Amino acid sequence: MSMARPALRLRAVQIAFALAIGTLIVRAAQVQLVRGARYQAAAREQRTEEVELPASRGAIYDRNGVPLALTQEIFHIGFAPLELRDGGRDVPVLARSLGLSGREMARALGKDYVYLHGPFTLLQVAGLREMRGVHLTSEFTRFHPDRAFARAVLGMPAAPGRPASGIERVLDTLLSGKPGRAVVLRDQFGRRYESPSRLDLFPVPGHDAYLTLDSELQDIVERALSDAVARFEAIGGDVVVLDPKTGELLALASRRADGTTPPSVFTSAFEPGSTAKLFAAAALLLHDRVELTDSVWGEEGELVLGGRTITDEHPEGWMTLRDVLRRSSNVGMAKFVRRLDPEQQYMMLRDFGFGTPSGVEYPSESGGLLRPPAQWSGASAPSLAMGYEIAVTVLQLAQAYAAIANDGLMLEPTLVSRIVAPDGREVYRHAPEPVRRVVSAEVARELRAMLRDVVYDGGTGVSAALASYEVAGKTGTARRFGPDGYLPGASTASFASLFPADDPQLVMVVKLDDPAGSYAQLSAAPLTRSVLEQVLAAQTSALDRSRLEGTPSAPGVPPAIDAGVVPYVVSWPLEPRRADSALQTVPAVVGLAVRAAVRRLHESGLQVLVDGWGTITHADPRTGSTVAAGTLVRLTATEDAKPR
Amino acid sequence: MALGLFFFLGVLTWVVTRQTSSVVAATNLRELNLERSTLEAQKTELLRRIRKARSRVTLIPRAESLGLRLAADSEIVILQIPSEGNER
Repeated sequence: MSMARPALRLRAVQIAFALAIGTLIVRAAQVQLVRGARYQAAAREQRTEEVELPASRGAIYDRNGVPLALTQEIFHIGFAPLELRDGGRDVPVLARSLGLSGREMARALGKDYVYLHGPFTLLQVAGLREMRGVHLTSEFTRFHPDRAFARAVLGMPAAPGRPASGIERVLDTLLSGKPGRAVVLRDQFGRRYESPSRLDLFPVPGHDAYLTLDSELQDIVERALSDAVARFEAIGGDVVVLDPKTGELLALASRRADGTTPPSVFTSAFEPGSTAKLFAAAALLLHDRVELTDSVWGEEGELVLGGRTITDEHPEGWMTLRDVLRRSSNVGMAKFVRRLDPEQQYMMLRDFGFGTPSGVEYPSESGGLLRPPAQWSGASAPSLAMGYEIAVTVLQLAQAYAAIANDGLMLEPTLVSRIVAPDGREVYRHAPEPVRRVVSAEVARELRAMLRDVVYDGGTGVSAALASYEVAGKTGTARRFGPDGYLPGASTASFASLFPADDPQLVMVVKLDDPAGSYAQLSAAPLTRSVLEQVLAAQTSALDRSRLEGTPSAPGVPPAIDAGVVPYVVSWPLEPRRADSALQTVPAVVGLAVRAAVRRLHESGLQVLVDGWGTITHADPRTGSTVAAGTLVRLTATEDAKPR
Repeated sequence: MALGLFFFLGVLTWVVTRQTSSVVAATNLRELNLERSTLEAQKTELLRRIRKARSRVTLIPRAESLGLRLAADSEIVILQIPSEGNER
């Protein structure tokens, strides 16, 4: 019995163990086999998270690679003051990072949870990422290094409650890319860990777009327009600069007096006034309706035609077509245009692109207004020749003048120069796209010569003249139309120009809405000159300076500021006259202007160090000294000394 | 039995090592991504400051305060770079 008891107890223990193990096995089987999938899913949900990986939106650059619009990660912040681990240490960091004042911070600390929409940059929140109690929400947003730069042209990508606009809208499918999908791991604190092996779908970044805009030229134009609107007390203005050989838009600026910058270059049509006289002249020449020696009588500045009185600002006598353009004579143009059939006049304007959108990559471009001859009245032909009864955008006007600059071949204007894929592959590059031949090269040349006379032969565009390189252009001053007809005393002043006149590289149209002083020759033309002077002085690549060589300098145009400096073009690098000789004689430079003295010494193969500015008063070594080639000559100059 | 135990311990060690190195790699990846984002943010901020510093809105008032003015076109000398065929 005493033996049996331990055996019994042992058996009982065995059975108990067997039951316990059996229970464990059953439970394990239940957990693994019956509920395994559910527990597995719950565990996966706890440890992992499926996230959409946003695709980085492509950047927008100017033609030289200057970034105009980039994608930036920004943050919104929420924090629970009670969850902060060390209030004494964390609160000052929070306040400093988020830019909160002591009072704001004290108010925030009294709440359970504080949400700050920001947006905050990554640099601002860098110190808060690991802070307990702080929760960051990030999103990608568009960032413009210069907020004001060509803003209307660039536009914005779509956002909740806001449609896309501008170039961002036109190129949206290329810029936006494709989002990816991934599973990230989470630790017990909720921190995410990316796992390269758990990427379901790689995000594909968007393409980068290179616009035709030149940021330096754009900067010049925006600043000049802004100054002009303020100076002439205009209600607004627009400027377009394009390359007539490619149709590329180099700069676009629009500004209202209230500081807004609507895209009116594309969307706002106006009566161009006398800038349209060129197109009537083109039709007359193209259809051989005029000889360059033909004259019309100026009627002493007043002509009644179809019940309407046409006047000239300055009464004129006999005028050729060239004189009509030069003096911007309404009477003369009204008389000449009678030689054209309405159909010829209409088709010429159509061929120059009026009445239809130019096709530039911009949404909601206006086509302007041009009525067919069937809808014309008796006064329509002369009105159209003078730039009335027609509405054009600044861009259309620039495109039409560019056709003249491009020997009569009209090109489609463009804003997009290149599209580059994320792997660096170029998927698009703009090539000049001819629209049609508007006039022959010979007629275009003749028209350019007439436009040159407008600026340099006593015409209305004289205030646009440069002293160094010739400008060709045409002024236009048109009465402004209001809801009840033409507004008394209000006008639109415009100036369309080609630079340089002989082989144009730039076509610029400047328009000022209701400037004080009204006439284009007093507002739009000087603005053109100001922009061109700045372009010449700037480093912009929009102007090929090597092609300016040989362009004749304008005769008899006084420099804007008489500084006694003679403009000249020198070859570079400078050819040393006797650089091959071991010994040189220091040339006579005392009494010369600094620039001339430096040039003379360089030509002699000597190096120069100048102290001061103005006229050279002393040279060391002295004039006539024999020195080794490459010797440094120290020049002293003073502004008081009289030049030789 | 001992062989089995060693085998089990070996497998266990291998699994733990693999998991640990994965966590370390994931942490490094996260830190690198953060560093890259921070550098991109710095680059963006620097670009903004460069644009502002180079803009005429900033430069012209400073130049004018120093008594400088914009050169008239008659005062501008353009140095011609020789073309390839003209190179010495």
